[in-house]
Amino acid sequence: MAKSYDVRRLPGFGAIAVLTFILLYLPILVLVVFSFNAGPSQSEWDGFSLQWYVAAFGNQQVQDVSIRSLWLAAVAAGMATALAVPAALATTRVSRFPGQTMIYALINQPLMVPEIVTGIALLIVVAWVKVNTGYSGMAYLVLAHTAFCIPFAYLPIRARLETLDPTLETAAADLYANPWQAFRYITLPLLVPGIAAGFMLGFVISLDTVVITEFVKSAGQDTLPTYMLGQLRRVITPEMNAIATLFLALSLLFVTAFFLITRKRG
Amino acid sequence: MSVEIEITGLGKIFGQGAAAFRALSDINLSIGTGEFFTLLGPSGCGKTTLLRVIAGFESPSMGSLKINGDEVAAKGPNARPVNTVFQNYALFPHMSVAQNIGFGLKMLGKPKAEIDSTVAEMLRLVRMEAMADRKPSEISGGQQQRVALARALAPRPRVLLLDEPLSALDLKLRKEMQSELKRLQGETGITFVFVTHDQEEALTMSDRIAVMSAGRILQCGTPHDIYHAPTDRFVADFIGDTNFLTVPVAALDDQGATVTLPGGAQAAARLPEGMRPVTGEEVTAVIRPEQATLAEPGAGDMDGVVETSTFFGTDTHIHLKLADGQGFVLRRQNTADLAAPDPGSTLGIALGAGTLRILKD
Amino acid sequence: MATPPDSATGPEPDPQKESHGWKWLLSTPALLVLLVAASGPLMIVAVYSFLSPGNVGGVEWDFSGDGWFRVFFSRDIFDPENVSWNWANLNVFWRTISLSLQTTLICAVLGFPTAWFIATRPPERRALWLFLITIPFWTNLLIRTFAIQELLRGNGLINTILVATGIVDEPLQLLFSNFAILLGMAYVFLPLMVLPLYAAMDKLDFRLVEAGYDLYASRVRVLWHVILPLVKPGFVAGSILVFIPSIGAYVTPRVLGGGRTMMLGNLIALQFGQGRNWPLGAALAMVLLIIVMAALVFYLRAVNGEEGKRRG
Repeated sequence: MAKSYDVRRLPGFGAIAVLTFILLYLPILVLVVFSFNAGPSQSEWDGFSLQWYVAAFGNQQVQDVSIRSLWLAAVAAGMATALAVPAALATTRVSRFPGQTMIYALINQPLMVPEIVTGIALLIVVAWVKVNTGYSGMAYLVLAHTAFCIPFAYLPIRARLETLDPTLETAAADLYANPWQAFRYITLPLLVPGIAAGFMLGFVISLDTVVITEFVKSAGQDTLPTYMLGQLRRVITPEMNAIATLFLALSLLFVTAFFLITRKRG
Repeated sequence: MSVEIEITGLGKIFGQGAAAFRALSDINLSIGTGEFFTLLGPSGCGKTTLLRVIAGFESPSMGSLKINGDEVAAKGPNARPVNTVFQNYALFPHMSVAQNIGFGLKMLGKPKAEIDSTVAEMLRLVRMEAMADRKPSEISGGQQQRVALARALAPRPRVLLLDEPLSALDLKLRKEMQSELKRLQGETGITFVFVTHDQEEALTMSDRIAVMSAGRILQCGTPHDIYHAPTDRFVADFIGDTNFLTVPVAALDDQGATVTLPGGAQAAARLPEGMRPVTGEEVTAVIRPEQATLAEPGAGDMDGVVETSTFFGTDTHIHLKLADGQGFVLRRQNTADLAAPDPGSTLGIALGAGTLRILKD
Repeated sequence: MATPPDSATGPEPDPQKESHGWKWLLSTPALLVLLVAASGPLMIVAVYSFLSPGNVGGVEWDFSGDGWFRVFFSRDIFDPENVSWNWANLNVFWRTISLSLQTTLICAVLGFPTAWFIATRPPERRALWLFLITIPFWTNLLIRTFAIQELLRGNGLINTILVATGIVDEPLQLLFSNFAILLGMAYVFLPLMVLPLYAAMDKLDFRLVEAGYDLYASRVRVLWHVILPLVKPGFVAGSILVFIPSIGAYVTPRVLGGGRTMMLGNLIALQFGQGRNWPLGAALAMVLLIIVMAALVFYLRAVNGEEGKRRG
């Protein structure tokens, strides 16, 4: 039987696509595989072992930076989400108003400005504040990460809000709810998937942020990414692969959860 | 019957300046307590805007709106004894059926026991007892409709507003819900203000109908009046099928006018109140297709040549051409042995006594 | 009956959209944080670029155009009157722009077939392929760069295989080169090209493609005359999404380019580290920002131009 003429087929495209997917995953796969290597090599397989994971877990410094990273991500994402909810309410489902473009530009600025520029900008400000106040705690990192996470938390919340049927709030008002009650009992519960997605995205972004942290952190405030960046200059053992693999697994967990939440909506 | 809603000189303008849009003009309306009142008109005629103004979702630009004697034009929707059944039902998707129904009472701060008993009563009223714990997404469209009704009725409003609530249902379900609505209104005694673009729905369900077009109320009356005594060309055209005949006035007397029909015969026609045409003036006279009957050629009020006839089961629509070229449609009841008239044949048309009416415009 | 002209026509306002009123005030807490920790500092960078460098980093509060001057020119240490082009910086600019454009090109060449592949899968499987593209996008950029570094090392997997199979006699120096940076950036930014391209293809009306074939066009001609023009907005968006992070890249060139093969981001960082010339660093940052803004303006004009054409 003759093969039918498939208008969607373009010769060679499938092969390139498959190759692309392989290229995309091969380096990560190699990284993960060698984290289980019994030997110290990144290229010669000496058998399966969990020794590098044991080493990573036993490394006090890795423990410290991991906990700091997770704590920072949770706080920054939480604050960014708390700020993004009212910001989304202020800018969604409203007729155009003067200054709206300004607000959008401000909210999305961290997406547009290269991280290195934000990094040195914060370095300048933080250095100045440090000199004048003597404070060198975690607040700088928290504030910097929060600002950086705001657009990522804002986008899914806004997207969710846009799919919300405004008649529901009208119906609540019709049923004697005042504006606060309408928000509390109708809008907020329906926003939860967007809020959860926003938080998760913010969490992953904060966890990934390396440049800003590198320039803002004071001594002893390394996060997992800046710790890794520092280690990459040295001779690397598969312990780094083990740390990276764990890190990857955590990101994957959050991204999957984000996908499931956003797909369920509507 | 006491007056429930009193609307005087009400208007609504959206936007400003050049972009201003007059959605409602000079609305005067008085709706009685316990009445089933329908706002009927094509889409964009302002009926939904009027409903939203009564509900409090829009504030009027001018005029007064009284509910049970209280001026409410400046009050928010949550301060009016009025509840709405929305076109898409607007059920809260994250709440169960029972929670939806109890929402209004909860917002009013009623004690839990009272909420529970009212919810149970409402569930019984709309026959949804078995579905109390389901989410809106887990019940059918018709059931959602019942829940929306129960939710709006639960706080015992003085007025229930219904915004095309049946338009999303299929024909069979719609018929069912029509009688359901009538039953609920009878049992609760609440004033219903019903918005629809479906003239048949309006005619079968309403105590009174207001026909709207372009932001104005054109005619307000009982279904019988609206159907049989339209005062306005739009109303006559929008409700049912109508023959419009342009005819000269032959004579005037106290009861009405005599007009000259195509073909030269004269016939009496009713005049609307306040209209005094002069003799010889051309006016528009209307008659419903079922109000004329067939006769032998020359034996009726006028003759017509058959152009086409269309079989509809219970009746046949016969399209005729009158002597001066105007068209005329006649609806004849079918019986098994009646054959369709031949195209090209000439037939007489007899107009029933008192069925011809002159329109205002 | 004639309808009154005042009500029959005219734009019916959307009753679902509330007028703004006081609602925008809700955005002030977020805007305040962004002002303090994003926009404000950016303005201070602009100010710093016009100050004099301090001895151990920082600045002296004296106005000076020296920071901007040094971006492009250098003075002879012994003869300050002798001004010449600052080739070291200009080389970095050239490398940055060139590598970013090459990265964009590679991503486009690999991304287009990939996006097409995803867009032509059965709908129920598309989500999975899309998810597979998105995972690397959301996983740590540093880790993905690290993965590339591991492959390219002298004793990494690629060299090990090359030596073991006898293709080369001794390991190649793959790391710390333009090639390594290019490979790394193409690798980490590829999803940013695929996603907007897919979005454009997802909206593509395949009846138009069928019409093309129906009118005797070959596959190449359909691709060139029908498909490419229709997915052009996706190309433009994808190119911008790849180009902007490439031009501002810091981590990837630092890890894969080493100390000598720098890009603009590393040059900026250097001024705040060993270079101890904050005004120069600030001026370089402004240059980077200007390039990014120019790319964004180009993008917005391209998008608006397309829309204008469609409306017109």
